[in-house]
Amino acid sequence: MALNIDYVAQTNKLRDVNSDLKIVLSIGVMIFALISSYVPIEIAVIILAAFGIMVIARIKPIIYLKFIAIPFAFTAITCVYLLFFFGVGHVIWDSGIWGVVIRQDALNLATLTFFRVFACFSCLGFMALTTPINDFLHALAKVHIPKVFIELSMLMYNIIFIFIVEVETMKDAQKSRLGFNGYMNSFRSLGSVLANLFFKSLEKAESLQRTLESRGYDGEIPIYEPSKRG
Amino acid sequence: MLEAKHIVYKYEDGTRALNDVSITVEDNDMVALLGKNGAGKSTLFLHFNGIYKPDHGEILVDGKPIDYSKKGLLDVRTKVGIVFQNPDDQLFAPTVQEDVAFGPLNMKLPKEEVERRVTESLKRVGMSGFERKPPHHLSGGQKKRVAIAGVLAMKPKIMVLDEPTSGLDPKGASHILQLLYELNKEGIAIIISTHDVDLVPLYAKRLYVIKEGKIIKEGTPKEVFDDVNTIRGANLRLPRIAHLAEILEKNDAINFDGDYPLTISQARRDFKERLGK
Repeated sequence: MALNIDYVAQTNKLRDVNSDLKIVLSIGVMIFALISSYVPIEIAVIILAAFGIMVIARIKPIIYLKFIAIPFAFTAITCVYLLFFFGVGHVIWDSGIWGVVIRQDALNLATLTFFRVFACFSCLGFMALTTPINDFLHALAKVHIPKVFIELSMLMYNIIFIFIVEVETMKDAQKSRLGFNGYMNSFRSLGSVLANLFFKSLEKAESLQRTLESRGYDGEIPIYEPSKRG
Repeated sequence: MLEAKHIVYKYEDGTRALNDVSITVEDNDMVALLGKNGAGKSTLFLHFNGIYKPDHGEILVDGKPIDYSKKGLLDVRTKVGIVFQNPDDQLFAPTVQEDVAFGPLNMKLPKEEVERRVTESLKRVGMSGFERKPPHHLSGGQKKRVAIAGVLAMKPKIMVLDEPTSGLDPKGASHILQLLYELNKEGIAIIISTHDVDLVPLYAKRLYVIKEGKIIKEGTPKEVFDDVNTIRGANLRLPRIAHLAEILEKNDAINFDGDYPLTISQARRDFKERLGK
């Protein structure tokens, strides 16, 4: 994987800071950025989050850039759309082709939307890159999110990594026998990988059930939070 | 003490996965179950802590038959810990320490005791310092160790390990066996299944050979490997050293009287004697 958020969350300098604080802080600032409609504030939030991620948590800029690149691209596309196809006010630029124009209120809207989304994503990035998933799940438990949801997320989180490896292995095995070669062939190959994965999932579920039961599982996964931070 | 008495277990289609299997594991014993893939080793193991219920026969733990009620099963699973073959099936928690804590927490132990056991068992398997790592960042051998720690933290009297060395490199495999040997010395009875016949005689006190759901041979490593035909009939082989001795006897008229050395140290002693040193 090119970007391993999980690994970053486990190794950054802010990892041992109280996770509740990190989560409340980032969600709080995110809501603030969402409500605010003043561009300088959004920019301040973006700078603040970037400072927190790269300077305080010492996460490499390249990692942060990779994290932010995809939402950035989506936001940019959305804002281009807003820029050209919205607004009713004063025309500030006329391309002269088919009446494609930019209007003042569309420009304002696009600018605000862009920075607002970017600010929110920065907050989200701060949380995702500094807080390991288990801390996050513990925090969810504290605010009484249903246990079944938390347990499911926990199991999915762990098993997804095993599945990624499985899928990669199956794909490589198929490629070695000239699968994924051409358009139709790729569809067929993908189909058999997915079908295979389905049966593997069933098997996995069964063996997981057995291993959990062997250690006294009674339908509920207890939460473990050691007092000292090792 | 763990006893399996005349266990019969049928698959849904009626074929017998286990056919009248009887096994005894004394306190502080170290037993290896040898057999080819699909011989019924894993199926048998899942009977030892009540995951499977036999169609006939019974399992006795400390002289008492397993009580298949919820409370009875928790009790049995505290006494008999199983380490599964594939650690990926066993490790489920987002961090190593949470996974190891799972068993003790299910035993409803106080928090301080859970913490003590997590620290102790990780230290025991040489994985201190990995407490907060996610399992998918670990190597195969490390995952295996964490899986063992997860069972060790429940302080079982008997530990059952399904193919503990499979998928490990030679050094990793011998480290795991060394660890089991030490745990055995500290008072835990160990049962392993394996087809690694070279390592078994070094560690196991007694062997069972299983074939098509039946125990076809039992005894000390020496007794079992003396019966070459049975061993080969079960898709197993002699330890390399014993095989060498067999060839020397057959082709080169070096007589062992059928008493082949099973380990390197036994062979060394034998050769030194012959050379008059």
